[in-house]
Amino acid sequence: MSEGGIARPVRPRPRLRTLGITAGLLAFTVFAAREVKFAISTFWEVWKNPLWEKFWPVPWDWVLDRSNVIDPFVETFQIAILATIIGCGLALPISFAMSRLTTPNRPTYLVTRSVMNVVRAVPDLFWAKLLVTAVGIGAFAGTWALSVFSLAVMVKLFSETIDNADPRPLEAARATGSRHLPAIRIGVLPTVLPEYVAYALYVFELNIRASIVLGLVGAGGIGRVLEAQRQFFRFDRVLGMLIIVFVVVFVIEQVSVAIRKRLV
Amino acid sequence: MTATHTPSTVPRPSPPTGVRRRRALIALALVIGGAWSLTGLDITLARVLGAPADVWDIFKQLWPPAMDEALDRGVVGKVFESVYIAWIGTIIGAILSLPLAFLAATNVAPRWIRIPVRQLFNAIRAVPELIVAVIFIPITGLGPWAGTLAIGLHSVGTLGKWATEAIEGVDTGPLEAIEATGGRWVSGMRWGILPQIMPIVASFWLFRFEINVRASAVLGMIGAGGVGAELVSQLMFRNFPAVGAVLGITVLVVLTIDTMSATVRRRIIAGAARTSGPDLDADRNAEALADLTGFRR
Repeated sequence: MSEGGIARPVRPRPRLRTLGITAGLLAFTVFAAREVKFAISTFWEVWKNPLWEKFWPVPWDWVLDRSNVIDPFVETFQIAILATIIGCGLALPISFAMSRLTTPNRPTYLVTRSVMNVVRAVPDLFWAKLLVTAVGIGAFAGTWALSVFSLAVMVKLFSETIDNADPRPLEAARATGSRHLPAIRIGVLPTVLPEYVAYALYVFELNIRASIVLGLVGAGGIGRVLEAQRQFFRFDRVLGMLIIVFVVVFVIEQVSVAIRKRLV
Repeated sequence: MTATHTPSTVPRPSPPTGVRRRRALIALALVIGGAWSLTGLDITLARVLGAPADVWDIFKQLWPPAMDEALDRGVVGKVFESVYIAWIGTIIGAILSLPLAFLAATNVAPRWIRIPVRQLFNAIRAVPELIVAVIFIPITGLGPWAGTLAIGLHSVGTLGKWATEAIEGVDTGPLEAIEATGGRWVSGMRWGILPQIMPIVASFWLFRFEINVRASAVLGMIGAGGVGAELVSQLMFRNFPAVGAVLGITVLVVLTIDTMSATVRRRIIAGAARTSGPDLDADRNAEALADLTGFRR
């Protein structure tokens, strides 16, 4: 300590590559910001927009009328329930085919995995719009689209769970001479079933949210009413609907989180 | 010794009755829910049987995709517009959510501010991006800026929640050291916590960016900029080869970004794990998944 304490260590100089990457990202950000017409002033000017007045007051009589909002909202739920049952039901066997641990053979593994990756890369509402074109406007197309999408999400989550399952019960079952399916049924399924249920609840939450917006592209549910009122510039009704949607989604999420906590 | 040579004398144990009853209840709930939904949605057997043929009719026209036409119409530019929207939206979300996360973490923020900030995160997460965009479009006008704002605001919910949990998981040693030297609260956050959480938080940002690319592609369908508008108009004209091209380019870009982002995320996390042993990568992945799905193993 006689030299006046330990010298502060020299700060390492940034490497050339780090500087290059930073500069590249900055340039990309600036370019992207211009492309999306970034305007920081929006954050304070947005409040002065006279259109806000059209959001108020909320016409509760109209919003709480059965045929205006409640019935389409029920339809939204029915789409979500059906899509969850179909999607998660199909996901159970496909996930087992898609996991390294339980796949029957390598071709099945590769084919299911790549098909599901492509399905998942197409956003949910793109599916909805495609199916609306194919089978006509309405809840039927929405149910189809959401089933496909929940299947894709579910197999991704669940097959990874199976990948991480304990392989020893499966090996034990195989050592007794069991065939493939019974071995999985006894050796793997019981250990991953709680997570399957938890993921299914999670997918149901996703589906509730997704089915609300499905109607924006003509696939049934509350979004249909939302889109119509938006086009009539009845933002007060839109706001009323959104409040209802918000409260319901919020409550469902809290319930679902509580159930999942108990499950896993 | 004889006992080991007499198999099948021990009866197979039956599952506890509680499990059976619960399974029956779940099955009953599923059947009732499914039946209720089926009747409500006017789904008839004829439609279900007819649908695969209809869908196949459309899907087989998607191939071969009309790539030349799509390139002429500037679809690639539109896809990149979606990417820009997602990028700027993610940055807005990151900038807004990081300070808020410090106010929401149990170990560094007082209770009176923690509860409202957490509820704000929950509230934001409950509203889909598209709905936020529906509100923003009349205010900012049609175009990419409305979509960017919607994505930015919506990202605050998830990014804030994840960052909060990262902060709650830190080692409090550095924080105590700074307090012991008389450092202020802000210094503690800046030097005691931020360096610890930055790798995981940066990887969360990238993860959210991947999600946002998909979300911004969808936003175009209601006029908030990006590739969605192109898909809608080509479907309206029933120009299916062009639809195939739009879908193909979108999927290609989405998958490329996913792969790139996953590689960078792995490097960020591996860099952070260098001192802490090889298992951390898997742990952090599990952590990210737990955050995404809202529960822990």
